Amino acid sequence: MSDRMLTMAEAVREAMSIAFDERPEVFLLGEDVGIYGGAFGVSGDMYHRYGSERVLDTPIAELGIVGAAVGAALSGMRPIVEIQFSDFTAQAMDQIANQAAKIHFMLGGALHVPMVLRTPQGSGTGAAAQHSQNLEPWFASVPGLKVVVPSNPADAKGLLLSAIDDPNPAIFLEHKLLYKIPGRDPVPEGATRIPLGVSKVVREGKDLTIVATGIMVNKSWEVAEKLAADGITITLIDPRTISPLDMGPVFESVEKTGRLMVVQEGPAQAGFINEVIAQLAGSSSFGSLIAPIKRLAGMNIPIPYAPQLEKAAVPQFDDIEAAAREIVKNWR
Amino acid sequence: MSFKYPVVMPKMSMTMETGELINFHVAVGDQVKSGDVLFEVMTDKIDMEVEAPADGVIESLVANPGDVVEIGKPVLIMLTETEVMAFDFGAEDEPVAAVEVITAPAPAITTPVAPVAPVAPVILNETVKAVPKARVEAANRGIDLRTVRATGPDRTITMADVNGAQLDPAIAKRQAANKALIAKGIEMTRGIAQASFTRSVNANFDHATFMAAWAKVLRNRPDLAAHEHIGVALIIESKYGSALPVFRDPDQLKIADLAALVASTTDAAKNGKVPVAMLSGATTTVFDLTTYSMSSATPFLFPNQVTSVTIGYESATTKIVSLTIDLNFCDFYDGALLLDALVASL
Repeated sequence: MSDRMLTMAEAVREAMSIAFDERPEVFLLGEDVGIYGGAFGVSGDMYHRYGSERVLDTPIAELGIVGAAVGAALSGMRPIVEIQFSDFTAQAMDQIANQAAKIHFMLGGALHVPMVLRTPQGSGTGAAAQHSQNLEPWFASVPGLKVVVPSNPADAKGLLLSAIDDPNPAIFLEHKLLYKIPGRDPVPEGATRIPLGVSKVVREGKDLTIVATGIMVNKSWEVAEKLAADGITITLIDPRTISPLDMGPVFESVEKTGRLMVVQEGPAQAGFINEVIAQLAGSSSFGSLIAPIKRLAGMNIPIPYAPQLEKAAVPQFDDIEAAAREIVKNWR
Repeated sequence: MSFKYPVVMPKMSMTMETGELINFHVAVGDQVKSGDVLFEVMTDKIDMEVEAPADGVIESLVANPGDVVEIGKPVLIMLTETEVMAFDFGAEDEPVAAVEVITAPAPAITTPVAPVAPVAPVILNETVKAVPKARVEAANRGIDLRTVRATGPDRTITMADVNGAQLDPAIAKRQAANKALIAKGIEMTRGIAQASFTRSVNANFDHATFMAAWAKVLRNRPDLAAHEHIGVALIIESKYGSALPVFRDPDQLKIADLAALVASTTDAAKNGKVPVAMLSGATTTVFDLTTYSMSSATPFLFPNQVTSVTIGYESATTKIVSLTIDLNFCDFYDGALLLDALVASL
């Protein structure tokens, strides 16, 4: 068992490198992914290791980048696109939502688009409203896309390898604040894959089930750790792939704990995490609930520039802790 | 044969302790039919007419108009031809068997029955707000959530509220009385040598078909019957306890008529009401366990009954029929033949 502790940036780079080594048709393209090593340093030295044929610096033209990748994927390549900030995917949305996601179906299954679009998302860097969004629901609401939201380096590596293998276009949403943080778990050596569409039970408890995505998994884990000292134990579930969504472990857990809290960074209104609530409310596990479902999500506002306001706009450790304590205390 | 039956001051609400007798509608010596009004009672909440529980004759008037009578105390005494198992579930005292046999006892046909009076629960919330599991739990335990005090946020009923909920005292009383009744039955059954037989049956049948088939089988064995009729008691569970309405000679009714009677009686029993005429005369008992997805129960025989049958669940298409016999009246061979004949006719 390896005990290598990597950051998410290192783990993603390692997964891309393994895919590059395994398959000659894999290549990376995006703004500043080459000589500069990526806006957040994720591609790092790959340009120097694999050369300009496989690590392509592109012009600042997101629609063109994704269009080129879709074309390459249709022609038998397996492109990995990096978009510098997920906010900029708006520029490329026609290629993502109307082309990549649908070509397979428009052509009766004759062709497929094995493309992965990696992009950093989220707030907390002081980059203001146009560089800080969490856009999980944009992609999760487009059938034909697989949407992956890793919360830690080990999952990021295993899930990215599976996303590259997958014949469908996949959107891979990496949180900026996780890039530089080592995960809690070591990252296995070699080409260890984690299947898409399988939720992970991060920890098990009996008082409350928390379903969280991305960076909120980490915050919730810290809260669970703190509350465990007070005798409140939490089952924490990380869907990892938000489309397709694996609800099985959520149903199973809610039947045991009777309480559900969901946490996401993006705005509450029409957020992805609402899907978890909707599916639970329509399931037979509904009858196991002993408390109203608690939703913690971002405020319905553009992310503010002022650091204090930016922090207040999305759930933080204290918010999650207070909500978890309240739901367990009030509903017995 | 006749029985002395005291008609008592009924408990008509949770808070009621006494009632005032307003007037009698009958006089000593009057012949009354089941359901005839005997007297009127006034409480702080309601006025009510008290009806005769069975056909009979008014023997004596115990209370006088204007008297304030404690619940459970007799207002008048009537003589009935049928034995009425009279447990006063509302009274504070132990359930009293108010039956006094004043002629030489013949082989009594006794059917333990939880009789029936409307319960007036205390409604705390007309509109119930409850967590989903509280609703599931309340339904399972027969708790009316409107009577549960809500302590959760926004006056919502929590699991703690349901877990701490007292059953409606009237219902609890009934259940206690029911237990006493069952204990008494077991006491009387104990010592009877009995045997049980079980067969799987791959057939679909409803209660009416089953009771008719069973009565027909019994009719071919007059040697087993101490009675001229066949009375099939069907155990029906409700929040008021077990009710055992008796279907007389079901094999001699048109099956459609019997089915309608079974349906209406089952509905009534679930609401705590069984026609008085159906409270006695059982010669055998049928207990359907499939409602609870159970396959078998402890063999039982009610006093003065030679047989009982349970219908158990085996699979979606298969049921388990178990017959228990009193070995004082028949032997193993009889038991096997009876069950064989029953299964064959299904």
